[in-house]
Amino acid sequence: MALLDVNGLQIFYGDLQAVFDMNFTVADGEAVALVGANGAGKSTFLKALVGLNEERHGAVHFDGVDISQMPAEEVSRLGLIMVPEGRLLFDSLTIEENLLMGSVNRRKGSWTLRRVFDLFPILEERRRMFPGQLSGGQQQMAAIGRALMSNPRLLLCDEISLGLAPVVVEQIYRSFADIRREGTAVVLVEQDVKRALATSERIYCLLKGRVSLTGPAQGLQPEQLTHAYFGN
Amino acid sequence: MACAAVLIAVIAGAPFLLNEGILRLATECLLLLTMAQMWNLLAGYAGLVSLGHQVFIAFGAYALFLTSGWLEVTPIWVLPVAPLVAAAVAAIIAFPLFRLRDAYFSIAMWVFAEIIGAFTMKSQAVGGTSGVPLATSKLIDFDWFEPTMFWLAGGLTLITIAALYKMMTSSFGLGLMSVRDNDLAAMSVGVDVRHNRFIAFVLSAAGCGLAGALSFMGNLFIAPLAAFDVNWSVYMMFIVIIGGIGTLEGPILGVIIFFGLRELMTGPLGLSGGWYLVGLGIIAVVVMIVAPRGIWPVLRDRLGVRLLDVHRAAPRPAAATMLPGASERVTG
Amino acid sequence: MIWVETLINGALLGGLYGLLGIGLALVFGVMRVVNIAHGEFMVLSAFCAVLLSNLFPQVSPLLMLIPVIALSFAVGWLYQAAIVNRVVTSPDPLSPLLLTFGVSVILRNVMVEIFGADVRSLQVGELSRASLEIAGLNIGIMPLLTLVLAALLFMALQLVLRHTEFGRIVRATADRRDIVRLSGVKPDRVYNYVMGLSLALGAIGGVLLAVRSSFTPFSGAERLLIAFEVVVLGGLGSFWGALLGGIALGMAQLIGLKIDPNAGLLYAHLLFFIMLLIRPSGLVSSRV
Repeated sequence: MALLDVNGLQIFYGDLQAVFDMNFTVADGEAVALVGANGAGKSTFLKALVGLNEERHGAVHFDGVDISQMPAEEVSRLGLIMVPEGRLLFDSLTIEENLLMGSVNRRKGSWTLRRVFDLFPILEERRRMFPGQLSGGQQQMAAIGRALMSNPRLLLCDEISLGLAPVVVEQIYRSFADIRREGTAVVLVEQDVKRALATSERIYCLLKGRVSLTGPAQGLQPEQLTHAYFGN
Repeated sequence: MACAAVLIAVIAGAPFLLNEGILRLATECLLLLTMAQMWNLLAGYAGLVSLGHQVFIAFGAYALFLTSGWLEVTPIWVLPVAPLVAAAVAAIIAFPLFRLRDAYFSIAMWVFAEIIGAFTMKSQAVGGTSGVPLATSKLIDFDWFEPTMFWLAGGLTLITIAALYKMMTSSFGLGLMSVRDNDLAAMSVGVDVRHNRFIAFVLSAAGCGLAGALSFMGNLFIAPLAAFDVNWSVYMMFIVIIGGIGTLEGPILGVIIFFGLRELMTGPLGLSGGWYLVGLGIIAVVVMIVAPRGIWPVLRDRLGVRLLDVHRAAPRPAAATMLPGASERVTG
Repeated sequence: MIWVETLINGALLGGLYGLLGIGLALVFGVMRVVNIAHGEFMVLSAFCAVLLSNLFPQVSPLLMLIPVIALSFAVGWLYQAAIVNRVVTSPDPLSPLLLTFGVSVILRNVMVEIFGADVRSLQVGELSRASLEIAGLNIGIMPLLTLVLAALLFMALQLVLRHTEFGRIVRATADRRDIVRLSGVKPDRVYNYVMGLSLALGAIGGVLLAVRSSFTPFSGAERLLIAFEVVVLGGLGSFWGALLGGIALGMAQLIGLKIDPNAGLLYAHLLFFIMLLIRPSGLVSSRV
């Protein structure tokens, strides 16, 4: 059985419908890329999964538990954790305190402050600083670290390479090998399609709120993807 | 038009049909309605909640009492002094107060009212804590006093509502409402937010000054504890909140509920004024939680009635098309 | 010499005023709500203390602080859960203001009807008259104890907010209400605790102020205005700033009373208003 099983999900954004009849699965330990143009509904979908968007209808099961109408604070305790777009760190908390916020209601698991610092050594150096004093890449590492601190079974990453230098993006993506070694499944929402494909096993492409393509990440025809990404 | 003519006829004829007690109550209703409309102009349309509006009522009333005494003329002839003084005070204090937003503005207004109230109590020239009677009351023709008060209050109410209606359908009103809905959006389409707020603030003060002057003129006496009573703001706020903030009909409905409840609770039910305020407060709190825009908008949508509905389109894209000269700045 | 004494007594009073402000600042810092009913809750706690000390005349009224603090915490929790949380995320920033103002009117008039409009005070006997003679200056023991208590409470609050998980959660919730939910935290629940804490701190201020000067059900407005001025003068959000703001107001008030015995809070209000004129920046936003 899939770890995450989404069936016929409809998501609304005020009066507008943002996602239509979405089917989506992630197996235990799997890495799945979710790509699509701006405004395709990727972020809305992730927010709805973790319970930050309340206007949703359809079946969503995580590890067999129905989470379709569960509030965000309960979803996170099950181990479905999002790294939000734009990092959204807590500005008046130090980096270390930001990381500790991830462990407030943590599941049992192997991620600790120590291990996050081993994964991103720069964070240990900057542990007493505030997010505003860090570079974008370091902030992104802190946001990922905060999510890891709660020992996720499935990590949802929203646009983690946005606005970062290629070298930094490279470094962050390298860390995924470590993260996945724990058996953590990952969903990557990315603008950078090439990188997303290289890191994942399966891909979903969203177009105007609907799944326009799904299949294995490797061996995908470029024109097939272009068509699914831009339509027509 | 026909409707306005009927209203004018009703107000002109009422004193001949009603007894003095009811007439006095009606005058009180109309004056409080005017004040509530003025508070609503500021809170409902300009987004500024004042908890110190009693200061304008007091300024208007004291201005009337003092000027009438100095010039030794019937208070009615110096009525225009009241709104002018209140407006001038508002224009001056707008400078420090407009630097503050939201609750800070509200409470700073309150502190300002407290300061002026404290100075008034200290100043023997204006009667200190014991207050002053209307020095020129001997010039008043008491046979026609209550009817005249009623006509003045009625006239003021009609003019206020007509003027607000006119204003809210003008480009100034639309600009003001876009300010309330969204500062940034309004600024981005070229509405001068500060300027519009300033005008609303001064007008609101002037209206309260005039209504306050009339109210205390009817009592022939003024004292600081009554004039600077924060309950003036409480009444205005409750009337607007319960009736419907940001609508012209809301305060009318609010005043009906305000006086209806008062007459019911303090009359047949025999409860004290304190319990009446508790009851009113509970209604206001429940309305704020259940229907944050007030009762009138709910009724309007249920019944589909339109009385003085100011055509209000969505503030975002519509504002740009409705404000002449604004759209060019956006596109240009 | 008499002026030095006035200044010192003003500073001691300021500790108490700082306590009035701190609860208001806490709620504002965490949920961006100015709780207009804060003053009425303080008066309510003073009434509770009077009631309790009438029931148990053999117990020192200052010991009544303990049950009153506990009660205030519970009241704050319920107040937040039942009322304030319903509008705290309203898109209209005026909603919480109007709502808490409505609650203040209800509370004030309920107190008038239940306790009457008479002037009350809390008697602590000898302690309120005891004083120290230092270098020719006459310093009251009670005001001195109050200032020390205020400083200790400020330190304790600072420690809790800076160095405990609860404090971390409160600060994180103040920063990003939605994102703490991703850590399994219920922001409404955090707000309940914060309001409880705020009213508990308010209760300490309210009871101690009732020892110092008499009060009526109408005193809430005065207390709210003082609390608000303390918070604004202190630069919003900084706890030590609130203590300094309180001291400035306390001095202004006592100097004013020396000049004019009937001045009441006039000089404190004036100081606040003048500060608005000359130092408006930094008045608008900041965090805990």
